[in-house]
Amino acid sequence: MTTIEALNQIFCMVFDDDTLQITPDMTANDVDGWDSLSHVNLITTLEAKFNIHFTRKELLKQRNVGDLIADIHRKLAAYA
Amino acid sequence: MTFNSLSYFLFLPVVYLVFYFTADCWRWLVLLTASYGFYATFKAPYLLAILLMVTGISYTCGLCIAAQQDEAIRKRWLWIGIFVCVAILVLLKYLPFLESHTNRIFGLNNAISVTIIIIGVSYFTFQAISYMADIYLEIEEPEHHFGRFALYMAFFPKLLQGPIERAGDLLPQLKQPYQFNYDAMRSGMLLFTWGLFKKVVVADRLALYADQVYNHVHDYTGLSLIIGTYAYALQIYFDFSAYTDMARGTGRMFGINLTENFNSPYLATSIADFWRRWHISFSRWILDYIFKPLQLGWRNWGQAGTALALIITFLVSGIWHGATWGFVVWGLLHGIYLATSTYYRPYQKLLHKWLRIDKSKWLKWWQVFVTFNLVCVAFIFFRAKTLNDAIYVVLHMFIGIYSYIQKMLVGIVGLEIANVRGLLRQLLIDQPQSEFITLIFFLLVLCVTSQLKKRIYIYDTPIWYRWSAYYLLFIFISFFGTFNSITKFVYLQF
Repeated sequence: MTTIEALNQIFCMVFDDDTLQITPDMTANDVDGWDSLSHVNLITTLEAKFNIHFTRKELLKQRNVGDLIADIHRKLAAYA
Repeated sequence: MTFNSLSYFLFLPVVYLVFYFTADCWRWLVLLTASYGFYATFKAPYLLAILLMVTGISYTCGLCIAAQQDEAIRKRWLWIGIFVCVAILVLLKYLPFLESHTNRIFGLNNAISVTIIIIGVSYFTFQAISYMADIYLEIEEPEHHFGRFALYMAFFPKLLQGPIERAGDLLPQLKQPYQFNYDAMRSGMLLFTWGLFKKVVVADRLALYADQVYNHVHDYTGLSLIIGTYAYALQIYFDFSAYTDMARGTGRMFGINLTENFNSPYLATSIADFWRRWHISFSRWILDYIFKPLQLGWRNWGQAGTALALIITFLVSGIWHGATWGFVVWGLLHGIYLATSTYYRPYQKLLHKWLRIDKSKWLKWWQVFVTFNLVCVAFIFFRAKTLNDAIYVVLHMFIGIYSYIQKMLVGIVGLEIANVRGLLRQLLIDQPQSEFITLIFFLLVLCVTSQLKKRIYIYDTPIWYRWSAYYLLFIFISFFGTFNSITKFVYLQF
């Protein structure tokens, strides 16, 4: 399973929507129920699944799913 | 000089004409000079000095943050900038509080704070902080042209009470060459006039009721306290949204689109929804620069972290409004409303689905009613002069309601007109009946207009319709506006 497929699966689980297909330019406005509370659930789930830790600055900088994917790839490469 | 003063009606066309006949490369200087001149009319030279100081510090820190690669140094510059801005704001805002305490402790008789006014300081300080934070987060590039940056900080339509503009929204617009646009000029003038109407005809009329009740709370009980509270909720909304309309209208005349601050906040179906619709530029600011950093930092605490971040964010918001217990309670109440909703909201949604009322219009209107009343309860603490007054209002607002309704019904059914008149007088809060009817009429005008605006674009209507509307608006302002004593906008004090 690729990182994006795994990420998609987490999105489906957190937002309780099996039809969700993430795209790099997707933002919180495009997903029903993506509010500040579910965002925290998403981040903590991602951190547990990929065994990574985002800094506060990285999280505040992210503007869309593309930024999130880039940060995950960068962290996984650094940990490898 | 405020937007509803005669001097502003003269100032605005003069500035526009100078701006229009100046070469594009110098237009920023015209607007900057006009903005500093506008601020100077408050006859407080230290205000201009503070504006220049905050401008200089945020400009320098912005450049220093961007020039550094080292994360620790970047962070240090950010904290230096934020510390200076917050220190200036806190010192000015809490000077009366600090002075009264030091006077009491040391037996002094200082009265410096009495002469201090802080109009606009909060808004440009918040803007400075957001500018530096966005550069630190690499969301924005720093502005190198000091003049344009100074204009971003001081642009007169938004200087006194916002909207709090992000660098990414306003700076690019200030750099664009200006071209006269008839539609923008026309809609800007109409928006300004519409704001003037909301202020001088509606908000100032509502203030008669709210001020009468809240300046003499112990003279009233029951329905009068409820009417006074509702009047204040409407007054503060129309007053602040009027200011925003006038600011946006002025901005549009100069080819600048400022942020919309309100989106029918009293139609919100929850407190979270209310904060997405009320004072939008401020709620976005506290969300991005206070709530999110706290919440993300405490993300491992789960819901408790979010709830605590909400309470602290709104507590800070309350304290920002002023050093009184009323503002603290107001902020805390909103924090508690939002924090508790993070716990019960999932269950509430499930319950609505189970009862099959989740798509019901009645449910939506019930939620609007509950939200509005929760907001009004918090406003009692915001408006009351002291915490004791606020507690009095809360404890006495339902006293005698049942007997009032009973007497009213008996009076109407039994045609006891004198009885009904007596009760109505209580309802009218010692204001003339004609004043009350006028107020209701203009509130209806606002309701009808907001509905019409959704269906009809005024500039698509026939000329006779459009001009009738313009004349009507002019007549309403001329004959029903409060111009005998120029009243300040409520949010100028913050």
